[in-house]
Amino acid sequence: MNSKQSYIGLIFFILIGVLPFASAFIYALLYSFGIVGIVNDGFTTRFWAEVFASGEFFKSFAYSAVIAAVSVVISVSLALWLTLKFRKEFDQKFLSFIIYLPLAVPGVVAGFFTFQLLAKAGFFARLAYQLGWITEARQFPDFVNDQYALGIILTFITVVAPFFVLLFLNVYKNERVQELEELSYSLGANPRQVLWRVSLPVILNKTWTLIALYFIFLLGAYEVPLILGQESPQMLSVLIIREIKQYDLSKVSEGYVVAVIYTLLVSLAAVLLFSRQNRTAHEL
Amino acid sequence: MSFSWKPYVLTLLVLLILFPFVYLVLLSLASEWRFPQVLPAYFGLRNWQALFISETGLLSSFLISVLISLSVATVSTLSGFLISRTVSYHPRKQMLTLLTYFPYILAPVVFAACLSFFFLKLGLFGKATGVIIAQFMIAFPYALIFFSSFWGQRTQRFEELVATLGGTSVQSFLRVLLPMAKGMLLICFFQTFLISWFEYGLTSVIGVGKVQTLTIKVFLFIKEANFYYGALSCCLLIFPPVLLLYLNKRYVFNKLV
Repeated sequence: MNSKQSYIGLIFFILIGVLPFASAFIYALLYSFGIVGIVNDGFTTRFWAEVFASGEFFKSFAYSAVIAAVSVVISVSLALWLTLKFRKEFDQKFLSFIIYLPLAVPGVVAGFFTFQLLAKAGFFARLAYQLGWITEARQFPDFVNDQYALGIILTFITVVAPFFVLLFLNVYKNERVQELEELSYSLGANPRQVLWRVSLPVILNKTWTLIALYFIFLLGAYEVPLILGQESPQMLSVLIIREIKQYDLSKVSEGYVVAVIYTLLVSLAAVLLFSRQNRTAHEL
Repeated sequence: MSFSWKPYVLTLLVLLILFPFVYLVLLSLASEWRFPQVLPAYFGLRNWQALFISETGLLSSFLISVLISLSVATVSTLSGFLISRTVSYHPRKQMLTLLTYFPYILAPVVFAACLSFFFLKLGLFGKATGVIIAQFMIAFPYALIFFSSFWGQRTQRFEELVATLGGTSVQSFLRVLLPMAKGMLLICFFQTFLISWFEYGLTSVIGVGKVQTLTIKVFLFIKEANFYYGALSCCLLIFPPVLLLYLNKRYVFNKLV
């Protein structure tokens, strides 16, 4: 390749792909140590100590990780079941389009829709009232803004599971899983062995990076927990934005501390995931 | 004859997939739908007529969303295609690819919050240009990663063949590489358009409520408890991608894995 073109390309790559991330991280780091910021007056580790002492970050991180993990595990299980049971049916013209439709629904719409269905005056509460199961709206169970994040998890599943169905269907075809299954049967394997020792390992081995990536995406999800989440604990992105955008300027640095920790954690995850993926990228 | 439960499950699945679309359209056509009514008191086109009233600003939101998404998709696809070539052929490809993943994997809203100081200093805060640039920063890594699979040994051989036959690098790019990558360019354009079209957190931070894309409108209507206009905004958000999906379905996932 022409070395001049290569240099120009590299400069643009650094300007667009590296510089904004590096600038954002350095600014957040400086803010978290009190070096920049309107009300800050010099280097201090006070904000870091306060974040670690309050424990809100750890609560929020654990809360987000559990929600993301439960959503991903249920979505992957559901998608695997649908793929292995209905792969032939999904090839039909009508269904092959229908299964793509959920991709047109963004998180903000999914959150709004869940709220409309599951809120105390939502559609299901109205049905429950008409069926005589409740006599007042407040008797309807908490599914949104609730402590177990049921609304958030349900919404994540409806957004993520369709993607995994399409992904697994594609892997099933590309990896010729059906032929491997037939071969296993001809060698005397039973359906249980074929499922657990052939189909699932092949599909999951090819997609585990994307599954892990979706866990990280859900960990940092913003719109859905903003609509359906509770006041405390909050999911990570909601907590970070609440702290950074608050009126008490003396507390903004603590928001940047959380942002720095979160950025470090996802960067570490990227290193762990993709330094391995680079070795296997062509196998995928 | 054995009983098959599959058709019932499939019917249920189709109904579950279609339900949000039908419900949101019905809600956008409804009014005065109070608890515990299962059906609304008013049902008609009143809310949709509001699309053309400047007070709601829905039409202008739709247009600004289209403009922002088209700009982001065009610039990200083209720059991603060109720059991914440099990254893919670079001796330190692994490290450069890893650097690309950092902004890609970070929550856009957190990225925007940490970048907002620079946007403020550059006078891009609360402006559509600022939102386009910010969204470009998250769509570009996607495009870069997406095109990395294109620049393999096969493509390199084609480039070498063109050079051997006396073709210039411009001819090689215009007559060989672009036609070869046509399908991938289309998929990438579609995907980056959706990244921008669905974006809320980053847009709300950099746009500070002044750049009112459709996702921002949905939130504004939720805050105002105006669920009918909220549903109307949702319809405007989901039906263009449905149309695009219909047109591009066969390209979207075929080359993903």
